[in-house]
Amino acid sequence: MYRTLPYTGLFAVTVLLQVFLFDNLSVSIYLNPLVYIAFLALLPLDTKPVALLGAGLLLGVVMDYAMGAAGINTIATLLIAFLRPALVNLLFGQENAKEGGIPSANRMGQRTFIRYLLLLTLIHHTAFFLLEALSWSRLPLTVLRIAASTLLTAAFLWLIARIFNSKLPSRL
Amino acid sequence: MHKLFEFIRSVYVAVLFIVLEIAAVSYYARSTYYTQARLLTRSNQAIGGVHSLFAGVRRYFSLGHENRLLAEHCARLEEQLAQYQEAATSERLESYLQEIGESKYRFATACVVANTVNRAQNLITLNRGRNDNVIPEMGVLSPDGAMVGYVVDCSDRYAVAMSVLNTSFRASGRLAGSEYYGSIYWDGRDQSVVILGDVSKYADPQPGEEVVTTGFSQYFPADVLIGWVESAELNETRTAYTVRVRLAAELSRLSEVILVANRDLYEIRDLQQSDQIEQHTRLE
Repeated sequence: MYRTLPYTGLFAVTVLLQVFLFDNLSVSIYLNPLVYIAFLALLPLDTKPVALLGAGLLLGVVMDYAMGAAGINTIATLLIAFLRPALVNLLFGQENAKEGGIPSANRMGQRTFIRYLLLLTLIHHTAFFLLEALSWSRLPLTVLRIAASTLLTAAFLWLIARIFNSKLPSRL
Repeated sequence: MHKLFEFIRSVYVAVLFIVLEIAAVSYYARSTYYTQARLLTRSNQAIGGVHSLFAGVRRYFSLGHENRLLAEHCARLEEQLAQYQEAATSERLESYLQEIGESKYRFATACVVANTVNRAQNLITLNRGRNDNVIPEMGVLSPDGAMVGYVVDCSDRYAVAMSVLNTSFRASGRLAGSEYYGSIYWDGRDQSVVILGDVSKYADPQPGEEVVTTGFSQYFPADVLIGWVESAELNETRTAYTVRVRLAAELSRLSEVILVANRDLYEIRDLQQSDQIEQHTRLE
């Protein structure tokens, strides 16, 4: 595997950031950014679906363990790990995706990249917050939480993607 | 045969996804807030130290606020002490006559090492555990004596408490100054407001009125402050009030807590579950 080290670092940094920083933000009940999905979002475009699924499982289990949430992180991360290839093909084209590279504004184009981040985050947050609420009675509240948190998380993902890509020289 | 392999190759990712997802969903479906507290207790053994470090840094920023609360609390206690000392002198003669047992409640303090307020099921991790005589079902109060939650599970060095901001939290509350009571729960909307439900329609709660705990709860002593009435409305059938209560404890800036244990809790519970009692409650 190439680029193992940067990705191991990314995994560790996003998980630690989530557990020790973002879980303690407590700004508002509607803002609960789950930025740890940056690891899944930034895996190379040509990653095999099985590898993506494995990464999703690992990330979900680690986050469940650290946050004390019995399975919701795993359910949500598995879902986006499974849907990511389809999403990339839809937004970016199958041929382009096959050539690989790290998802970024340079590689995919600014608009496609932002749409990709927003959609991926939206799917994850929808699964996460619906499962957490586990009731339709407070649906407007849950929808508001999903929307606000999605925007915030996507913004953080964009930032993390820029930092992550700037660290890797373009020769990759 | 070749086609079969081709077919399996084309769908095995989807199959794997479905299998894993079913496993995760069934685990989540069987979980309760108790499993989640268990999980957090276990992971705290690994990352509790780091949490403590961060909490230690964070604590410095709230020292001023904390100090003011403690000073106020101290002043109130001093005042009470003065009253008691006065009363004590006059009652000394009687006190000689009867042996006073130890108080029904046992108190301890703890620091908050991790706390969330932005989920539906919020839990608080405390830096005291079984080694410090913290046991499940101890009540948790803020430094100025307002209700915060109760301990759900303990490891040797840490304890996890269910915060009042947890949709599974239940306690009973009473309007101070009257005998009308109801059940306290959180509706997951606002981190500073809980609901006092099922209050009698004759209660007529006024905004600003204090809400305190009843003595029925096994977790909290009687008359612990919960908060103040913000608004109240009758339900559709006009039989009971649903009261919105502004919490006295500020959960988002909690960094130290008081733990309170009812010494007689297990004794009372054993008594309630004894065979003798059961015989009298059996349906005949």
